[in-house]
Amino acid sequence: MNSELKPVMEGIFDAGASPRLIGAICSKCNQKFFPKPMVCPHCLGEVEDVKLSPEGKLYTYAVLRTKAPYGLPQPYAVGWVDLEDDGLRIFSLLDPEKISELDFGKQVTLRVGAIGVDNNGQPCLRYYFTTKKKGCD
Amino acid sequence: MRAVDIIGVGITKFGKYIEKSLVELGGRVAIEAIKDAGIKPSQINAGFFANMQAGSLFSDFTIGQNVFWQAGINRVPVFNVENACTSGSSAFNLAWMGVASGAYDMAMVLGAEKLNVPNLGLMQSGTTELDTLEGMVVPVSFAMRANLHMATYGTTKEQLAMVAVKNRRHAGLNPLAQFRDPITVEDVLNAPMIADPLTRLSCCPNADGAAAVVLCASELSRRYTSRPVRVAASVLVTGSYQNPCNLAQWDADKRASSMAYEKAGLGPEDLDVVECHDAFTISEILHYEGIGLCPEGEGGRFVESGATSLGGKIPVNLSGGLLSKGHPIGATAVAQIIEGVRQLRGEAGSLQVEGAKVFLAECMGADKAGDVKTCTVNILIN
Repeated sequence: MNSELKPVMEGIFDAGASPRLIGAICSKCNQKFFPKPMVCPHCLGEVEDVKLSPEGKLYTYAVLRTKAPYGLPQPYAVGWVDLEDDGLRIFSLLDPEKISELDFGKQVTLRVGAIGVDNNGQPCLRYYFTTKKKGCD
Repeated sequence: MRAVDIIGVGITKFGKYIEKSLVELGGRVAIEAIKDAGIKPSQINAGFFANMQAGSLFSDFTIGQNVFWQAGINRVPVFNVENACTSGSSAFNLAWMGVASGAYDMAMVLGAEKLNVPNLGLMQSGTTELDTLEGMVVPVSFAMRANLHMATYGTTKEQLAMVAVKNRRHAGLNPLAQFRDPITVEDVLNAPMIADPLTRLSCCPNADGAAAVVLCASELSRRYTSRPVRVAASVLVTGSYQNPCNLAQWDADKRASSMAYEKAGLGPEDLDVVECHDAFTISEILHYEGIGLCPEGEGGRFVESGATSLGGKIPVNLSGGLLSKGHPIGATAVAQIIEGVRQLRGEAGSLQVEGAKVFLAECMGADKAGDVKTCTVNILIN
């Protein structure tokens, strides 16, 4: 991984070999969020950073076949992933190399990699989920 | 709150107006609406102008004042409203509130948009949003809903395509629609793929266009017209942004329509004609369920039954919908309301629903957290 690349948005993940998304948890009502809000929108309590589970389950997905924005591959896939340990459903890019393996309820794992460009047209790091191989991970 | 009527309308055909400016398009329908209402420009007490993209596409701002002055409307309050696809119905909601409250006796709502520009690209929900940066563009957002609806309820690709086929059949009878030639389910399924299962014919095309209505306090409206159309309810809600989101159902549709039904003292069984925001084929199916035309999960089978076709139990998008007319964003939701006015005045020609008395317009806009940012329901009666 190119360590000089910036994340697509600051503060949303820890990159590296075992990447983690950085969400938030409300100190009062324990609700979790991703991305981190200013305060808890439910009770206006203070929120603290929390690392979210890198394992999830695919709730739904779709593949865009036309010209992609932000220099993303054509085609590319996106989906909503259930992070069951956190009680959160989050939107994410999905592994462009694994489009044919996508299915409802599929187990997926977090990755961070150099995909596409940011709002300034600069190559950047994005988080994405990839499908887990049976019997591995 | 006072009762409010619609007393005048003006609309362009939706299509390509490369040579015409936004101000010309808007000015034309403002003049038409004033003439239709039989009033003088000086009788308008406020103007509400809806547009979404002119700021980013043409670096043009506070356009409403320019548009309204084309029709001789000056000095009075003018507001410029942006609320994504519901910009027009949001402007309508504000104008209705202004007249209902007694602040104004008469107000004009005008939506106009020009989208036929080179390299427009796909619509998204704002470049500062993380979802947008992670690849969320509008067609893929709806494709995720379509895939989930198919997996959860057994809705088929063919049923999705039937929405486009039906709306195109209606458009054949609407001279103001952009695309009017009939299409088949095979045409829809074989069109170039945008985001599976949505092909190019499952997605609404871009368009330029404008639409305007004049609202008037009901106690005054008979001075100007013998056929006023009453606004029985005007509701706008935003999303709840709850996590986990439900992408197979639209809670905002349910909340907005329930509030509108309650205010109007009516229910879905009372509706004669509906226009809904069919930006994609799946959208119309979700709206059937959201506004209570059919039970949850039954939308695909409902369109297949013919219930929502002209002559069916509850015709939906007799105008041809966005799928056939195109989607000039600011004008879209105002045009929906004009379809209702034409039906309730008995002026809909070969698309007329015999004895139509109750009309509902539903519109929705912009993604946030797997929910929508804005949803409007307006009910008109005669």
